[in-house]
Formats: sequence, C-alpha cells, structure tokens
Amino acid sequence: MNSKILQTESNLEEQSDWRHYLATAGICCASAAIMTPFIGHLDLANIVMLFLLVVVLISLQLGRNCAVFSSVLNVLLFDIFFVPPRFSLAVEDGQYLITFAVMLSTALIIGHLTASLKKNEKLALNREKRTSDLYTLASQLAGALQVHQVQNLTQTFLAQQFGAKCLLIVTHDDFISSDTKFSGTDFFIEPHIATAVLQGGKTVHSSAFDKSGWASIYIPLKASMRTRGVLAVSLTVHPKYITKEDLSFMEAMTALIAVTIERLHYVEVANIAELDVAQERLRSSILSALSHDLRTPLTVMIGLADSFQLIKPLASQPILDIANEIQVQAKRLANHVSNLLDLARLNEGEIKLRKEWHSVQEIMGASIQYLGAALANNKVDIRLPQDLPLIHIDAVLIERVFSNLLENAAKFSSKNSPISISGRMDADELVVEFQSDGPGFDLKTIDSLFLPFSRGNSNHSSGFGLGLSICKIVMESHGGKIQAIAQHNGALIKLTFKSGTPPELEFQE
Amino acid sequence: MTPHSQRILVIEDEAQILRFVRLALEAADYSVSEASTLNQGMLQAGTNQPDLIILDLNLPDGDGIELVKAVRNWSDMPILILSARLQESDKIQALDSGADDYLSKPFSVGELTARVRALLRRKSRTGDDSSPLIEFGEVQIDFSKRTVLRNGAAVHLTPIEYKLLSALLSHPGKVITQKALLKDVWGPTFTESGHYLRIYVGHLRQKLETDPTQPKHFITEIGVGYRFNI
Repeated sequence: MNSKILQTESNLEEQSDWRHYLATAGICCASAAIMTPFIGHLDLANIVMLFLLVVVLISLQLGRNCAVFSSVLNVLLFDIFFVPPRFSLAVEDGQYLITFAVMLSTALIIGHLTASLKKNEKLALNREKRTSDLYTLASQLAGALQVHQVQNLTQTFLAQQFGAKCLLIVTHDDFISSDTKFSGTDFFIEPHIATAVLQGGKTVHSSAFDKSGWASIYIPLKASMRTRGVLAVSLTVHPKYITKEDLSFMEAMTALIAVTIERLHYVEVANIAELDVAQERLRSSILSALSHDLRTPLTVMIGLADSFQLIKPLASQPILDIANEIQVQAKRLANHVSNLLDLARLNEGEIKLRKEWHSVQEIMGASIQYLGAALANNKVDIRLPQDLPLIHIDAVLIERVFSNLLENAAKFSSKNSPISISGRMDADELVVEFQSDGPGFDLKTIDSLFLPFSRGNSNHSSGFGLGLSICKIVMESHGGKIQAIAQHNGALIKLTFKSGTPPELEFQE
Repeated sequence: MTPHSQRILVIEDEAQILRFVRLALEAADYSVSEASTLNQGMLQAGTNQPDLIILDLNLPDGDGIELVKAVRNWSDMPILILSARLQESDKIQALDSGADDYLSKPFSVGELTARVRALLRRKSRTGDDSSPLIEFGEVQIDFSKRTVLRNGAAVHLTPIEYKLLSALLSHPGKVITQKALLKDVWGPTFTESGHYLRIYVGHLRQKLETDPTQPKHFITEIGVGYRFNI
C-alpha cells in the first residue's frame, strides 16, 4: 500500500535517507574530480560557477536537504582541491574567504529556490490529478440511479486514492441508531460518533489507529437542504499520514456524493408522488365504475317497482303492496351500497377533504331534505342558534354524517317520538347533539359502536352499523370527535368540531 | 285539458331505465321520444326540438356533457341529468356546461316527475313574457317595483340580498353552482369565497322561509350549489 501513499503531500517531502546523501556526496566528488584537469586553464571564478551548477542539479533531483548538504560539501571541495594551497583547508589569500561565503550563500539560496519550485510543481501536478479524478467521479455519479451504486463508486474511488475502505450511511432521521445494520462492510462503525457528525455537520478525524478495523474518519454528507448521512472511512495506514489537504480532498468528494444522494432522494420523492396520483386515479375510476354497476340495477328495480302504480288498469292491492315493499327494500339496499362505497373511499389511503366554511344549520337542513320520507314518522326539532360560527369542513362528508345519524335515530326510536338536534359553543369547540328516545346504548358495547359491522345492543334487523363507522372516520379526519353517551331515557350522540376563525367579509354593502 | 303533450327526449342506454322513465312520463301526459346513444341523441335533439331533455351522462359512445354543450349552442331547453357517478365535481361540470338539474341514481318515479314538472314550469313561465310577479309560500315579489312582501308586510332586503334573490329566482328549479352564483352577485374575484353564500342565503331564509332550519324554497345542494323551488 505504500506506493499509493507516495502521492500524498507528506511524501512529497524528500525522502532524506542516507542513500540520497551518499549520492549527493558521490556527485559532488565526481564533479570535483572532473574539474581538476581544468586548473590553470580556467579561472577559479568560473570553477565556482560549475560548483553552483552542480548544486542546482542536485536540488532539482534530490530536494532541499541534499541541496544544503551539497552546498557545504562543494565549498569544502573547492577549498581543498582548487584554492591554493591545494589539499589543505588553509587559504593563502584572505579574499577567498569572501568567495567561500558568497559561494555558500548563493548555493544555499539557489538550492532552496530550486527545491521549492520542484516541490510546488509536484504539488500542482498532484492537485491536477486529483481534480481530474474528482471530475471523473462526478461524471460517474451523475449516472448513478441507486444509493448502492453511489456506495460502490465511492468505495472504488477511495481505494484508488487512499487504499481506504468506506461505508455510506444514508438516513432520513437526525440520528444513526446503534442497531443500524452496516451490512457488507468488514470494518466497524461507532454509531454515536456517526450521529454526532450527522447532527454537528463537522468532519471527525480520529487519530487513534486500531488494526481491528474501526472507521477513523466520519464525514457528513452535507447537501443543500439537509445533511443526508455520513461517510465512514476506514484507513489501512495510520491516520497520521492523512494530511489536512487529504481531508479537504475527501470532503470535496463527499460534497459530490451528498449532491448525488440528494438528487436520488428527490427522484424517489417525485416517483412516489407520481405513483400516488396514478393510484388515486385508478382507485377513483374503479369506485366510479363499481358505483355505476351497482346503482344501475338498483335504479331499474326501484323504478320498475314504482311503475306498478302507473300501469293501467291498476293491479290489485296485494300486488301493489308487494311492489311497494320491493321498492322499499331496493332503496334500503341502495343505501347500504352507498355506505359501502363511502367506506371504501374513506378507508383507503388519505382522505382528501374539500374544506370550505359552512354553516351547520344549512347542512342539517340539506340532510333533512335528503332523508325526506325516512323521517316522516318523527318530528325533528332543531335548536341550532343563529349565531353559531361557520366551521371549516367538507360539507359533502359532514352531510353524510348528519344523514346517517338522523337516519339511525329515526330507525331506532319509537313512532312519533321527537328527534332533537341542538348545537352550542363549548369553549373553542362547536358541539352538535342528536337526542332520540331510542333504546340507548349499552355500556358494554358502547366502545365497539363505531367499528364497522357492529350494531350496538340492538337486535333491530336492518343496518350493518356501517353508518356510524363512516361518521367516526369523517369526524376524525376533520380533527373532531363523535361520542355515544349512555342515558337511561334514550340515545345521545355528541359531535364535536374544532372551530376556527372564519374569514372576514371583505365585501361591504 | 292539458298544456301538455309537451315533448321530452330521454337519452339513456339502459333499456329498463328507459322503460320505466317512459312509463312515468307518459302517465303524466308527456310525449316521449328515446335515444340510446350520444349520436342518436344529438340528432333527435336537433330534429325533434323537444321541450326537455333527460340525459344519462354515461353513454356508450361518449360523455353526455358533450351533448349539453352542443345543445346550449342553439337552445336553452331544460336539460335534466341522470347520473350514477359519485363525485360532486361531475355534477358541477355538467351544470356549468349548461345542464339545469341532476338526479342521482337510484331515484324514484315521484322524484323524476317532480323535477320534470319544475323545469317545464320554468320554461312555460319564461315562454310567455315572464311576469314581474313571483309568489311562493308566504312571499310575493314584484321585480318591477323591487318590492318583497311577506304575509302582506314589506320585507327589507339589503342590495346584496336582493341581488342574490334575483339570481336564484331567475331560474326556478335550476341548480345554480356556487361558483356561478358568487360570480353573478359578488363578481369574478369572489368565486372561491363560499362563506358569503352561507351567510347571505342564511339571511334570505331568515327573512323569507317559514322554517329557516328546514327550508322549502332556498334549497342547498351540498357540495354543488343552490336551487330555488317555487
């Protein structure tokens, strides 16, 4: 793995091991030997230049430390082999001391500059390589369609760059629980660190290195809307070899991944929304077709049974009675069909409420109108004060609730007994009560009253009790309540609506 | 003896429904013609010029709403819709396209003939230079003098209430959608402000209905609109 690490900055520092110094010494001595024959032919000033050239070459190839070493060595070699008296450190002419000083300082400066240049060049090349690698990664990520593809790309990339292993933890929550399954990894993750990174949005770089394979770097996947998860990286080298620059490189890479993850998230959201719309459309068209198929024969039955009254000559009374009973039963069946269809519509998925500001009195009036003959045997006594506020409701559904309750009250109460409806404000709630003299509710069954297919304590032959469960679903979808209250003299159903602030009338007369 | 032998065209693809509708209408002295497809219906509506059309929206060769739109291009004859569809939006669409009333399946013969009578009464009223006088329940209204009397005593209506009353009374028996009413009375920017109608229709009921909690004349069609019945 060491060869991979060579690219990192720490290793751009020259490897100042003894071989380089030996090479430096060799080169310096060799060049001194080559220059020896020129004594007498070349001025000493020119020989100094040749020594400086050697320093430049060494600093280019072997780095700063060797440059310093060769500067000193060259000054010594020059003194010993070229400056009279030769083969001694002694100097005849004091002026040479200046030459030595200038030579040394020039060599050091040139050596340093050259080595820096070389190092910067290496760094620049390295950065360019990384930028192009990131670019490649970005274009690969652009084609990713699923999170596991992103995970694979990241894994390959980190293995190439750092010889590291990684795990992409994508989450919609703001914590990473300890029982998250980190499948497919051969290293361990500390959920508490991952959670801290997720919440804090800062990279954690643990310098403890454990051969047993724990992740040592946790980088948050920061996208534009929120942090989408954490990238855990497990290194195969000691974390001290990872420099600041490496970390910011990893963070840059993580930013690319985060954007990809966010894109995938929104693609998923869009897909789900599209699916919802399609499902809703399908459901509504199925219900519509079902409604048509069930109601058409019922329409025929009711209409034809009615027609007996119209056919001349008029049939005998028993036949007319039978026809009338067929009509009554068909209507009852139609009512059950309506309830079943309503329940199917309400039970599945979210209920789409078409809320507007409505008056309870008006909807009650419409319910009574709708029931018509079904209420003929009872006097309906409405006590809804004029100053009840408008409430924000889906009128069609609330009308079903009122109709169901009125119908139930009529069905279970004795002939000619009154059904009374009262309304009042109770703190910030609007309460509507339906009171009739029916058999009342049994405390034992009162809780199951609103479940589909239950019928309270009554042995009355008609009705599935679907009506009450529809009422319950509708009231609860409005944030309201429906309660059956046990009384010894009759049945009481209490509806509670949240009242809001109706809009002002802007249009003034 | 009858102003009848008024002609009614029934467009319905279900033979048995057609059968009892015809029975019911003929028993009430109307003359009935039938069509079972949209195209046949279009043709007959054009050639026979009936006084009223009863139309099923679900026809084998298309949507009944197309026929409503087509007929409205050349005639304002009353159109009564029969529908087994669930959604209020379907009814609103049919009414906004120009239909006058709808009857949800299943319906009884009594309901059908009552609706037909109401729609044809309107037609005969508008036919003979409609009088400015309307009477219903305890109320007499004279549109030429802009007076409203209840049991002979003058009832004070605000200008908006009066405007709403005229809008509702202009088509007795016809269901007027909430949107259309709001647009007529308050203007196009108020078509989503349903609460105006709740309040002002409430005022009209208070002032003109015998029992405002169980109105006989200003009828709410929940989720759709309002209807005035004489």
